[in-house]
Amino acid sequence: MRPVFNTKNLGGSSFRLYTALPLFLLTLLVLHTSACRRQSDLVREGTITLYGFSVVKEPLEREIFPGYREEWKQKTGQELTFIPSYAGSEIITNQIVSGVEADVAILASARNADRLVETGSTKHDWRRLPHHGIVNRTAMVILVQKGNRHRIRDFADLGRKGVRLIHCDPVSSGAGQWSLLAVYGGTLLRTGRVEGTRNPARAVETLRAVWSNVVSTPGSAREARTQFERKEGDALITYEMEALQLLEKSPDFEMIVPPTTILAEHPVVIINHPRHGLSPARYAVVELFVRSLWDPPAQASWVRARFRAVTDDALNARFAKIDHPFTVADLGDWKVAYQQVIEEVWKRQIQTSRDDD
Amino acid sequence: MVKTQSFKRQQEPPDLTGLVGMGFILLAMMPLVILPIASIFIFGFSKGPVHFWSALTEAPALHALQLSILTSAVATVCNVFFGVVAAWVMGRDQLRGSSALIVLISLPTAIPTAVAGFALLLLWGRSGLLGRFIEQTDYQIMFTTAAIILANIFVTFPLAFGVIKPALDNLDINYEAAAETMGATRWQTFRYVVLPSLRGAIITGALLTFARSIGEFGSTIMVSGNLAMRTQTAPLYIFAKFNEGDIESANAIAAVLALISFAIFSLIMLTKGRWGRWGRGR
Repeated sequence: MRPVFNTKNLGGSSFRLYTALPLFLLTLLVLHTSACRRQSDLVREGTITLYGFSVVKEPLEREIFPGYREEWKQKTGQELTFIPSYAGSEIITNQIVSGVEADVAILASARNADRLVETGSTKHDWRRLPHHGIVNRTAMVILVQKGNRHRIRDFADLGRKGVRLIHCDPVSSGAGQWSLLAVYGGTLLRTGRVEGTRNPARAVETLRAVWSNVVSTPGSAREARTQFERKEGDALITYEMEALQLLEKSPDFEMIVPPTTILAEHPVVIINHPRHGLSPARYAVVELFVRSLWDPPAQASWVRARFRAVTDDALNARFAKIDHPFTVADLGDWKVAYQQVIEEVWKRQIQTSRDDD
Repeated sequence: MVKTQSFKRQQEPPDLTGLVGMGFILLAMMPLVILPIASIFIFGFSKGPVHFWSALTEAPALHALQLSILTSAVATVCNVFFGVVAAWVMGRDQLRGSSALIVLISLPTAIPTAVAGFALLLLWGRSGLLGRFIEQTDYQIMFTTAAIILANIFVTFPLAFGVIKPALDNLDINYEAAAETMGATRWQTFRYVVLPSLRGAIITGALLTFARSIGEFGSTIMVSGNLAMRTQTAPLYIFAKFNEGDIESANAIAAVLALISFAIFSLIMLTKGRWGRWGRGR
């Protein structure tokens, strides 16, 4: 007869631990928020998830969110929670296209906004918003280390020998793309003004010379500023608001406003997915918030963060005067500009031949 | 006078070569390993311990740490469970498919973590191979805690198995044979004879998986959505804070992660000491 295995005095009590611990963790996980279920509208009521490009973090979190929460509380008695996430503009656009649960996006360029519509991530006609959907603008400027050793006055000077330039990565950040347009477009329009006709060849040459000096391409405007602050380069092409914020923080830097430079315009888009978008109730809540971005309090907040307001030019009195400002419209539109400058000139001509110089 | 050999046990002279060797290794490690880690603590406390503590106890920081620990723990449990089962099932016999299976199991470590994250997106994302069906339902996998756990499971997959299998293979088969003669079923043999002997290996495998998982970044950043207070793990938090220029907060969490890893590896060393070499139980 087969003996019976007597397990009475054997150890193996740790086996209970092996099963108890996983069960405990599983319970924790189930109770944990955002585990797996797509949050129903009922749960998401009272929240607005906002994806913003890197440099809008401060004005939003310090002033605009608290201000709007207060206003909302007074109007409706309801508590409103903002759930934000910040990164380079291309990065957040890709995240939204991949399906993150966003309600609103503040992007660095209209190209990102159009891409959201084209990929079917939203059906919001954002250009119908006030001011064609643009909440604020800022000029592209040059930051240099104190003393301006290389005597930079304009974008073309960044091509001089020995200049170590930090340039935001055009692949992941809006600031990177605006920088490219600023250098190329600035030269193009200057030749148009001075010589009578635009000289694309000169613009390409200038861009190529500038790019031969690039030592680092950080993924977002804020990341670039952090690198530059730590003195990793002689110069940085960035948003005017980043430059001004840095100057207010530390005296070790100078800002150069080139005579001909582009105004970066930043749109806001409501992420209303065609299939599982916002319920009418939530859409109304989100839209009210979005429209408040053009109200005087929010525009004042943008200005305090050193963005230029779009509603009232009087608010921009203290910003430097730009001799010859231009916008992407002067280069066609984003589609044309992106194709001609970023795809054709930068990606195809300059990036592929960098090692041959 | 003839000096007589004393057979009394004498104090051995210090092993100079050994000490010099260790000193040399430490010296080499200074710029490569020790100083970078020291920089975290030096910069972290440069504004004083109060500042360090307030950066650490900020709500997003605490949430990030808690999320990292939770997701790593779940991934560890899954991979240890799989490691034990796979090692037991494969047995000691060189079955024909088992070497191929071992290569397959080890594959995740050869894949760059960013590629792993990207692959998960391709599978479970909105237009992914399987994701497109999940899209129709009320559930969502990408950009949730579940996605972080999936990514962690993927990149740490073979770690526990790699520790447990050799330990299992080295167990003295006589114990199991004895149990069988005493009437134990396969399951009883496993639970009362094999598993307790594997305790050291299981704990080591678990700690290794946990340590690797808690620091995982490349795959997490692709699949998590990076929402502070919701899907931002500790490494993602460090990255975000650093990019914002908030070096102090980044440092505080980095220091905590470094300490956690240090504690884990000390535990692993202690386990080895207490439970003897991996495999020999009780």
